[in-house]
Amino acid sequence: MAALHTTAPPASGQASRTIPIRRKRSVRQRLRHDWPLLLLTLPALLQLAVFFYWPSSWNIIAFMDYDPNRAFWENPFVGFAWFERLFLSPYFVPALLNTLKYAFAQLMFVFPLSIALALLMHSVVSTKIRSIFQSVVYLPYFFSWVLVVTVFVQMLGSDGLFSNLLLGVGGDRLTFTSDPETFTLLAWMQWSWKDAGWGMIIFLAALASINPSLYEAAAVDGASRWRRLWHITLPGIRPVIILLLILQIGGILSVGFEQYQLQRDAIGYQTTEVLDTFVYYRSVIGTAGASFGTAAGLFKGVIGLILVLVANNVAHRLGEQGIYQKS
Amino acid sequence: MATPSRRSPFRRRSLFKAAGLGAAGAAGLPVIAACSDIESGGGGTQVTEGLDFLPTYKEWPLPVQPDLIGEPPHHPSGFTVHPEAVQAITEVPENSGTYELTVPNWGEGPSGDDPYFQAVSKAWGGTKINLRYADGNEFAETSVQWLQAKEFGDAIHMFSWMLLAHTDFQNTVPNTFYDLTDILKGDISERWPLLAGLPTSSWGNSVWATDPEDPETSRIFGIPGPASGGPGNGMFVRTDLLADAGLDKPTTIEELLEVAREWTDGSAGKWAFAGLDYYTPMWFGLPSRDNWWFDEEQDKLLHRSEMPEYKEWLEFRRTLWDEGLVHPDAPTGTLDTQALHKEGTILFQQDGMSWWGGYTDQVNSGEAEGDIEPLGPLAAEGRTPLVHVNFGVDGWTFLRKDLEKEQVEEFLDVANFCAAPLGTTEYELLIYGVEGEHFEYGDDGTPVYTETGTAVVNAPVNFKTIARVQNFLAGGADRVQRVFDYNASVLEYAEVDIFEGLRVEGPAAFKDARATLEDQENDVSYGRAELSEIDSMVEDFLAAGGEEAREHYTAAYRTAQGE
Repeated sequence: MAALHTTAPPASGQASRTIPIRRKRSVRQRLRHDWPLLLLTLPALLQLAVFFYWPSSWNIIAFMDYDPNRAFWENPFVGFAWFERLFLSPYFVPALLNTLKYAFAQLMFVFPLSIALALLMHSVVSTKIRSIFQSVVYLPYFFSWVLVVTVFVQMLGSDGLFSNLLLGVGGDRLTFTSDPETFTLLAWMQWSWKDAGWGMIIFLAALASINPSLYEAAAVDGASRWRRLWHITLPGIRPVIILLLILQIGGILSVGFEQYQLQRDAIGYQTTEVLDTFVYYRSVIGTAGASFGTAAGLFKGVIGLILVLVANNVAHRLGEQGIYQKS
Repeated sequence: MATPSRRSPFRRRSLFKAAGLGAAGAAGLPVIAACSDIESGGGGTQVTEGLDFLPTYKEWPLPVQPDLIGEPPHHPSGFTVHPEAVQAITEVPENSGTYELTVPNWGEGPSGDDPYFQAVSKAWGGTKINLRYADGNEFAETSVQWLQAKEFGDAIHMFSWMLLAHTDFQNTVPNTFYDLTDILKGDISERWPLLAGLPTSSWGNSVWATDPEDPETSRIFGIPGPASGGPGNGMFVRTDLLADAGLDKPTTIEELLEVAREWTDGSAGKWAFAGLDYYTPMWFGLPSRDNWWFDEEQDKLLHRSEMPEYKEWLEFRRTLWDEGLVHPDAPTGTLDTQALHKEGTILFQQDGMSWWGGYTDQVNSGEAEGDIEPLGPLAAEGRTPLVHVNFGVDGWTFLRKDLEKEQVEEFLDVANFCAAPLGTTEYELLIYGVEGEHFEYGDDGTPVYTETGTAVVNAPVNFKTIARVQNFLAGGADRVQRVFDYNASVLEYAEVDIFEGLRVEGPAAFKDARATLEDQENDVSYGRAELSEIDSMVEDFLAAGGEEAREHYTAAYRTAQGE
């Protein structure tokens, strides 16, 4: 085996110049060198270990007939029996279909809205108007779903503001907040009000990173407003759009829980049953047990992971960066 | 062979990794799949009669006799004149322990600093019981988590209907609660004479087997609450509003529908009904005991959803909704229906029987006006009515498994005090509080709550639900006579307990499917699903746990019939 050269051989006929070659350091050396950095990451690692990896390891109960009254090792393995029960449940498929319906509705009608809002705001010249607009649109993101649903009921409910106005002019009460036929529209309004502002902030940050001289050059070249949007703005924020899109696709089976649970009584079971409420009503406050809920959660996690990997792979094939850089 | 490009979806190394994982998975699958089936949550059947380890029954002689003699438990006796109270426990024990008891509560829980709590503590011997209130509407579901985490203080009070929320209560009990058998077996009349006077059937109802497969392992795990019997719920009508509208109290479903149509005026904010879900099935002859009924003709146990009357019931509810006879916000489940009933916004109120007395109390204190009373037994198309009644005990108080024997005995001292019936000073203190502070005697000698008494002592659940030797009707001559007459009028229609002598816990899958079916029933009733979907709803219910439960309940039925 050739000995490791620490210096390059001198080039013939030229002045001798030492070119340093970095020696591959041993683990001990690296530890000695990087220990302050490792120490800094330790709290985060501990936090992940305690609050993520340790709880995640309990996913194993999805394969056990788990009973909290038994010692852990006394719980028998039942293979995929809970998954079988999950997939054979006549209530599972309707919940899955509802979940996909709402997830796609979010993807199709809320995600682009965030981009549109960001573009709109980016075009506003007045800083004052922009900051007011930004606050108004962004603030609802911090509201709880309880508050969001309450506001909608107070405004559009059968005893809400608009119903009373209609009654005052001889009209009928609105049934908008209790009508399953129009729930998707209601849900879209709630998502838009609550979440579109958050997406907008991220896209605004991406827009801010676009070099202004590109716009100036395009304007000098006679590019119209739409041309600039199409050839500069959208390509400029495309990596962020792709990143958020992939993340949203990964969470397609997690459309949220509170929004549907809070409106379940008013709208009805059939319309509001999504996978998260399916698990909650059966496993958390229902009688199906922890193993059943864990199996359902694991199913969601695995599907989410597959979707993220596939979407990321597609992004890479299309020449995009995706959620991580290919090595 | 060409080298796979970096853009290839499967590079060689990745391919090997994937193949390796796949092979490992394929090898592991049969091993895992070969494991046992799910056995937990299979339900249980507990024999509650003929047990030889229960406390020996020794009648506790009543200090005063009721003047209205009924047929307990479904038709309790009553006192039209409030009796002079006599002290039941002459040798008060000396205790000093402090315990925490978790109880369900509807509304705001009173402060533990009130003199009521100090007075009862002193009266029963010094033991301090801190009540930990939890929302009664969520109690059944959240108690599942408390019991699993063993976080319910030193004791918990649960109503029997709350057991439906538990996956495997049969298994939870011996693992979580104190086994009282060794303390209570045999003659306990010397130390706890009132507990010895509890009906043997109440103690039998407090038994669970540590091994469900072996009845010989049955033990006492709970202190039985009162066995109130009789109808637990009613459909109460504002009789004053009926009279004002010139309408008669309906006696059939058809008449009820007409009255509802006559009275409702949505534009004026008047609707006949708000809640209809848990009380109205009996109008269509649908059973209560976990909704199972034995059909003699088919020689088969049927769930109510398989009975033809089930569709009639849902059609009836749907009719009321479609015709706008139900408050439009009823589906939200957030209405304060008692307040609406008081305001006269709704004519009929589905509620527990305590609403009758509660409403009368509020009328007496000027907080409400008019009068209410429950509708009599109703049926459609000339059928014989059916009235659901309470079977067994109302609930239990369970103690922590890891308490010391002396602590359990001290708690039983308290339970003995709480078991005192009407006509004793112990009962008077527990039910009405301290005279002058929580109640005053009215002109007819009946205690009347003060404002503080209503807020503190008259809570739906406190020490009064721990135990009771015997239930009597009380609260003034007029009220007692009306309730007594009502109970007498429904007695002949009382539902027969097809599982008498047993406490049956259904399989977890059945409880789960049943909860979903109830959600779907509401969807149909409130116009969110079509009536034509009922058949598929029932089919799904049977597939998801109904059929499995039929086997379980049929076996229990055969046992109850001595077959």
